[in-house]
This record gives sequence, structure tokens and C-alpha cells, in this order.
Amino acid sequence: MTDTIANDPQRVAIEELLPFYANGRISAPDKVRVEKALADDPELVTRLEIIREDMAETALLNESLGAPSPRVLDRLMTQIEAEPQQTTLLMRARGGFLTWLGQLLAAQPPRRLAYASAAALALIAIQGAALTGFVLRGGGGGFQTASTSGAQASERYVLLSFKPEARAGDIAAFFKRYDAAVVDGPRANGYFKVRVGDASLTPAQVDAIAARMKNEGEIIGFVAPAP
Amino acid sequence: MHTETDDDLVKRIASGDRLAMKVLFSRHQVHVYRFALRLVRDETMAEDVISDVFMDLWRQAGRFEARSSVSTWLLAITRNKAYSLLRKRREAGLDDGFAETIEDEADDPEIVLQKQDKGLAIRACLGKLTVEHREVIDLVYYHESSVEEAARIVGIPESTVKTRLFHARKKLGELLKSAGIDRGWP
Repeated sequence: MTDTIANDPQRVAIEELLPFYANGRISAPDKVRVEKALADDPELVTRLEIIREDMAETALLNESLGAPSPRVLDRLMTQIEAEPQQTTLLMRARGGFLTWLGQLLAAQPPRRLAYASAAALALIAIQGAALTGFVLRGGGGGFQTASTSGAQASERYVLLSFKPEARAGDIAAFFKRYDAAVVDGPRANGYFKVRVGDASLTPAQVDAIAARMKNEGEIIGFVAPAP
Repeated sequence: MHTETDDDLVKRIASGDRLAMKVLFSRHQVHVYRFALRLVRDETMAEDVISDVFMDLWRQAGRFEARSSVSTWLLAITRNKAYSLLRKRREAGLDDGFAETIEDEADDPEIVLQKQDKGLAIRACLGKLTVEHREVIDLVYYHESSVEEAARIVGIPESTVKTRLFHARKKLGELLKSAGIDRGWP
């Protein structure tokens, strides 16, 4: 079959937009252009049908690839724990200040650097004192993954938070409905780790439970599957 | 209902919040993994890639400027990590164009066609595209990237995204045609 589109730059331009028209990620003006062209160009319509067919099969192919093993998150969190402490908020804040101070000092004439050195030494002393306090308060932050907490690895979880206005009775009924139980929390921002079943649940089933919970907007503020 | 946005989570991660890291990981791990797996074609390597990707996120969250979505940012890092891993394998002589030459587990398109399943034949042909064609097809057809996002992830101009996608589609059609399925183009 002769490719008549290839010989017409205007139709080529429209043709190249078809995949983005099909995936819905096209600007409003381009969408209008494409729809106008599709209305009187059966060849472009055929191309769009091909794209939609390939798109559906690409989605199926990707969906068949499954998901990463829970080990990945465990390994990641272990790596994060092993990272130097500057990743914590306190250290980041100090890092920002030190950067600012370094830039300030670099811009000063030599005579003032003596004062700047004194300031830097004072800062180091303050930093040391604050760090000591931080460590003594146990602010390093511990982390334990589901798989490292023994028997819990055989269960499936979601992470959720309740709306501030949720009543105790509603929350109790919620747990009964889902046969769920809190295993940890509340954590930062009021998150709870909640057991929703045993290891026989597939990730898709856990996703479905989370989706059902998400619909309980009067009680639930946030919910997502958790490892 | 309030659901924290990805941008909010990244801000919390930048301040060292491990819980936010877990939530963001849960939200994006599957897409990142699948994108990586389609590039490197090895489950262990793909898991290594996503570990590296999220570790980078942990370290660089403070530098995220929200000029692109978190998803686009993650896929761009994933692509870089996947290509870097493939390059290292090649340089180490562990393979010769590993991702290009490895056979998909799916049947050949011809065999699939004999089984009278056009969808399976298309999927088999998708597996036979080059890595450059696969990634642009996956980004637009599965990850629903816009032309701007695909350009950012792959690191090529937007016009090149369109032409590369065109050639990928054309190649897919040719592979199907040689397997006995003529859809009228090319």
C-alpha cells in the first residue's frame, strides 16, 4: 500500500501526534488539530487504531512483568540507615549554613578572615555540642523493616492515617469491617501500619483493599500498601 | 480526602523522613521496576537499578526543583542507571549487547501467529525492538509520558522523540508483517 501520509508534511506532523492523542498527553490546541484531521482522513484513523492496539498490548506486556521483591525495600532502607548522618534534617540545616558561611568567607578580604576563622571555630564548637545532644537524645532514628521483624514478614500491610474528625466508634467499626489490626503507630504525621491479611494476599489484592479503604473518605486521610 | 503529593513527600525525604521514603517507594516502585526491567531484561539487574534509583532520590531529594514531575525524574534516573549498568556489563565483557541480543521468553511472532493470537504476536514483536525503540514505546504507550516528559527522560529533543517513536512504530509494523500480520502500514 502506498504511504500517502509520508508525502504530505502537514499530515506527517499530525500523524506524529497520534500516540500522544491516544495516551491523552497532548495539548488542547494539538488535540483540536488532530481531531479535525481525523474527521476527514481515514488513513489517519487507521493509524490511530494501530496505535491503540499496540498501546493495549504494550500495557499487557508491562503488566505481566510483575513487581520487585520486598527485599528491594529492605535493602534500600538498610542502605539508608548506613548513610552518613548528614542526611538528617539537623545536619542538612547545618550543611546549608556552612555552605552559606563558606561563600561569605570566600568573598571577604584577607584582613577579615581572622575574624571569619574565629567565627568558624565557634560554629564548630556549637555544632559539636548540638551533635552530642542529638546523639544523647537518640535522634539518629532507627528503622526496622517488616522482614526484619520476624513473624511479621508473613503478613500484608497498609500504611494509613485517620481523619482528625474520625470518631473512635467509626475507627473500631472500620477495623472490624476489614478484619485489620494496627501493628505499629502512630508514627510521624499520625500514620499507622495496619495488618490487612496474611501472605496469601497478592500485591493486587492488597492494592484493592487499599483502594476500598481510600473510598472511606470520612474516616481515612491517607492509605497506601506498605511492605 | 487528603493524599500527600509526590512533591510533598520529596520535601519530607529531603529532611530525612524515612517514612515518606517508604510511601514514595511504594507508590512508584512498580513502574520504575518495569521500566528498568524492559531495558535491562534481567530481574536481578532491574532490582539493582531501582535500589540505586531510590538511593539517589534519598541523597538528592533536596535538589529536586519540581520542574518536572517526580515520576519523570525517577524514570530519567532509572534510564541513566540502566544504561550505565548495561555499559558496564559490555565493558567488562560479560555480554555483547546483552539487552539487544537476549531472546524474549515469548514465542517467535510466527509461532504465536500459528496459535492464532494477534495480541501475543504484537507482544512478541514488542520484545524484538531495539532498546532505544523499546524505551520510547514504553514511555508513551505504558508510562503515558507526554512528548516533553519523554524528551526529558531520554535526554533528546522533543522532535527526536516524535521521529524515534515513528520509526519504532514502523519497525513494529514491519516485524508483524514479516510474521504474517499486515495491518496496512507500513
